Amino acid sequence: MRTGAAAGHPGYFHAAVEYDSDDDLLEVTVPFLLDGVANGEPSIVAFGERTAGLVRAALPAGSGVEFLAGGDMYARPSAAIRAYRKLLERHVAAGAGQIRIIGEMPVSAFGNTWDWWARYESAINHAYDDFPLWSMCAYDSRITPGEVLADVARTHPRYAVGGGRHVDSPGYVEPRLYLSENRPPVPDPLQDGPPTVSLTGPTPAEARRAVHAADRGRLPAAHVDDLVVAVSETVTNASRYGRPPVHLRVWAGDDRIVVTVTDAGPGPKNPFAGLLPTTEAATGGRGLWITHQACDHVAAWTGVEGWTIRLVAGNPVIPRD
Amino acid sequence: MCVRESIRDTSTTRFSTTANFSRFNFSGVNLNFFSYGPRRFNRPDGVPRSRHYARRMAEKTGDRPGQRYGHVCLAYDDPVAFETAARDFLAEGAAAGERIWYIAPEAPRGWDFRPELIRLGDHYPEGSVIDPEQGLEAYAAATRRALADGYSGLRVAAEATPLVRTPAQLDAFARYEHLVDRYMRTHPFSALCAFDRTELGAAVDELACLHPESDAPFRLFAPPPALGDAGLAGDLDEATRGLFARALDRAELRPAAGDLVIDGEELAFIDHNSLLDLDEYARRHGVTAVLRTRLWSPGHLADLLELTALRVEGGR
Repeated sequence: MRTGAAAGHPGYFHAAVEYDSDDDLLEVTVPFLLDGVANGEPSIVAFGERTAGLVRAALPAGSGVEFLAGGDMYARPSAAIRAYRKLLERHVAAGAGQIRIIGEMPVSAFGNTWDWWARYESAINHAYDDFPLWSMCAYDSRITPGEVLADVARTHPRYAVGGGRHVDSPGYVEPRLYLSENRPPVPDPLQDGPPTVSLTGPTPAEARRAVHAADRGRLPAAHVDDLVVAVSETVTNASRYGRPPVHLRVWAGDDRIVVTVTDAGPGPKNPFAGLLPTTEAATGGRGLWITHQACDHVAAWTGVEGWTIRLVAGNPVIPRD
Repeated sequence: MCVRESIRDTSTTRFSTTANFSRFNFSGVNLNFFSYGPRRFNRPDGVPRSRHYARRMAEKTGDRPGQRYGHVCLAYDDPVAFETAARDFLAEGAAAGERIWYIAPEAPRGWDFRPELIRLGDHYPEGSVIDPEQGLEAYAAATRRALADGYSGLRVAAEATPLVRTPAQLDAFARYEHLVDRYMRTHPFSALCAFDRTELGAAVDELACLHPESDAPFRLFAPPPALGDAGLAGDLDEATRGLFARALDRAELRPAAGDLVIDGEELAFIDHNSLLDLDEYARRHGVTAVLRTRLWSPGHLADLLELTALRVEGGR
């Protein structure tokens, strides 16, 4: 039995909250959570420290609202989907008729790595649709770049606007369409220079050795190990499901290693590939999902050479000029 | 720019795919073993992993440090390579007071010591399929005889290609290889098994991967009992998946007690499918497998894949 605005809605009820004052945020958040608690629904906040503090202060003592560490939840999109799905499964198994979550991404997600969070916002319309979830994604328009807000409009079916009301998002695009758009990422400055290692048609073992060879020992061993897994999976997929020639390029920087793998094919057909684990055996989907779990940023696009996937281990954030 | 160049140099070196028969000197002790550039990864401190492992094994087992495993597979393209490798391998045994057998069609030429020349058919059931248990017992008896005759052990270099020409022969011989490997960890018996790659082709990897020292992409072997029930070294990925499944099947791994402990100290890489296969293998045999490795990624993958019959310990 679902309550509130999502009553009678099948599956995921996904809304954005665009606010420009703390009062605006609280006006939407507090009743959303308290109504949930009053109806016996798990009501969860995944905010950063500042906004979580605001909400905590506005709630009565012992409100029954649960707080998650928002920053931890939003480290990697595929990991966030996995963690949220587990949380939702637990609550449904415990008999929840609806789960309410309000979350907010850290500002660090709004830079050059926003592209994979935009894909997350789109993909979850599908990824959480088998749960009675009502969630709100809060964006502070005072600090959120315009291009991010434009993606918010395209990835959220509706906005929560206060007073318990919602309005449809006119720019909303179905996830399959949104995720199929060609979206080249912001080039990493390392890519302006020649690659540290460049190989054509490498075997997965050669690709792994290329990463080890390029590693300057500046990243923690665990990060390099995980990148090696990602590169191995990616080259395996390119060889099995892509079209030759396969090019591997590795750039080593002070705080990160950037790898691109390009093949001449069109890329995976499944638009959710990487963000969701797939049960389809013959698509390389699980390898792509592992790749998304193992790297600090992943982007894929189609260009003149074919389909390229770029993996970053270490700090993927490019400082703004 | 300098860094780039030096990395290029390093990569060139490590991408070399030529297997070399090398002589290393560890802690003042001569050690002969095959060095497979790209297949033996060095630790970040630049010290060969095998060197750490040799030391660790010696610490744990009190083994003679000059004998790493004593079970080498040579897949050769040129018969001269076998004769050379056999000479170096057997010379160590001669110096150590072991009985030395050279199992080949002809006596070697130009050696400064004389091994006993054994014809293949004198020791093996040439032309038929080996019975793994009987094959093991034949060498156990020969080792006992060598000790009774006053030798410190038995060391054999064998050209065994004629024993593995059919699929049934190869399957039985691979099973026998693992039994013998296990026997060698606790008895003074060592062997260099040579196979003609030009004749056997890729099938030679099915034998080589069951030797602790070989140029197979990965090795599944018997470690000293103190280190676990099985040892796993090298690279496991999509290309080795079928080979790994067959090796596991032929090794018939069983825990000495409790969990099936797999020592992956020398594991360079294992992909998610190989971990899934190992998990499935353990489940099928009603055991929990424990993979011990210095790599971080297998533990991360095991968590992601939510494996239930395989636990990964390590990442250090």
